[in-house]
Amino acid sequence: MKHRISIVVMVDAVGALSDRTLHNGNLSLVDDSSAGSEHQGTPDLITAVAPGQVIQWTPIHVDVQTPVEIHAIEFLSGATVPPPADQTVPPHPVEPPAFPAPGAVPGTGADAMGSDGHENHDLLVWEGIVPYDMTPGVPYRYRLSLKLHEGPNSVLYIDSPALLRV
Amino acid sequence: MAQQHGIIVLFDVENALRTRSLDGNTYWFDNMKFLGSVGVGTEQLVTIVPGTHFLDGSQATEQVLNWLPAALGAIPPTVPRNYLAEQERADDRRTLRELAALDGEGGVSDADIKRLQRRVGKRAHKSGGGRGLTHSKLLDVTGRTTSDSGAYNYPAPVITDITGPAVTEKIMYPAQYGSPDMIYDGWYWAATVDTSRPGVYPYTMHVQLHELVERNDELVWESVDLTCESSLKITNDPKRNGFTGAGLGVLPLPPVPAVG
Repeated sequence: MKHRISIVVMVDAVGALSDRTLHNGNLSLVDDSSAGSEHQGTPDLITAVAPGQVIQWTPIHVDVQTPVEIHAIEFLSGATVPPPADQTVPPHPVEPPAFPAPGAVPGTGADAMGSDGHENHDLLVWEGIVPYDMTPGVPYRYRLSLKLHEGPNSVLYIDSPALLRV
Repeated sequence: MAQQHGIIVLFDVENALRTRSLDGNTYWFDNMKFLGSVGVGTEQLVTIVPGTHFLDGSQATEQVLNWLPAALGAIPPTVPRNYLAEQERADDRRTLRELAALDGEGGVSDADIKRLQRRVGKRAHKSGGGRGLTHSKLLDVTGRTTSDSGAYNYPAPVITDITGPAVTEKIMYPAQYGSPDMIYDGWYWAATVDTSRPGVYPYTMHVQLHELVERNDELVWESVDLTCESSLKITNDPKRNGFTGAGLGVLPLPPVPAVG
């Protein structure tokens, strides 16, 4: 078993902002799991994981001068109602997350991203350990929110990727 | 992942040549206003360079600067590199065709000859000879040949060096690179930045402009070297985990995952 799995988020920021969606080929997810991930290269990546592994998400922008950062990663809970399944274009701005990541919550996160009075998402490292109480065989979908530059329309998200304990 | 910095330096070439100074004749524009660059669009740009470090103190993000010189009132830099030469040749071909067509039965009028003479345009040489960055004919801003000395198009400004405290104090390491990008004539200036020492560091940009002068009945492009200044503001903040706000922890999975 690998100790660490990388999930690389490749983004065409200009395409995503002008389409106002991370679909249409504007985003591609690839991981290096050796346990049989599915849908590599698409926004629907299901990463095969095992408890104790460290999962790290890294954004890479195809235009090197466009700012692309991960805004939040929130695992979607069955207890709350996710947005309609047919909704491909997310609303703006993103609704409050179902399962907030501490780094993305105003108040706690502002400190972690604060850089001389400016929010710098580059300061956040998105990695975490797969817990041992994760149910095997069930995909845990997560909302991957990206921040492209700043402003009211800068945050876009997809709900389609997942982690799957094999 | 931090993006690379682009810094456009726009020169008012005509005014700079007249006053023999770049003071008041440059406009600086970068893509880091959202992280704290100030004076964007003015002569007093301070480019923010937001450095990051891991908890062990090591530099976490590579910061890269790219300078993009441009001239006010010039043919846009986005046209192909051979645009000027192509325009010149096309103009010559048109003139020759029209000259051949003049050979009519009614003779050739003076007015026609004068019109074609104007079309031939004026030639300018590069002082010192050799293969220069300018083209032999004067072209106006639309790419047409011109004999009007007030309407010609200046060659693009050339960055010849980047110096100053930001360089001598080893904050940035500028260099000129060859590039397949034809927009900047195959060369561009870029630098990497050491973000471990926060502060404001000025730097000096050395620029070569070209002036058209008449000498011995000939038009000659002569180089004029000038300098202008800008500065970098280096900040440095620690990286934190996005999930915990601190160090590495367990992923915040819900008790029951969403279906579908």
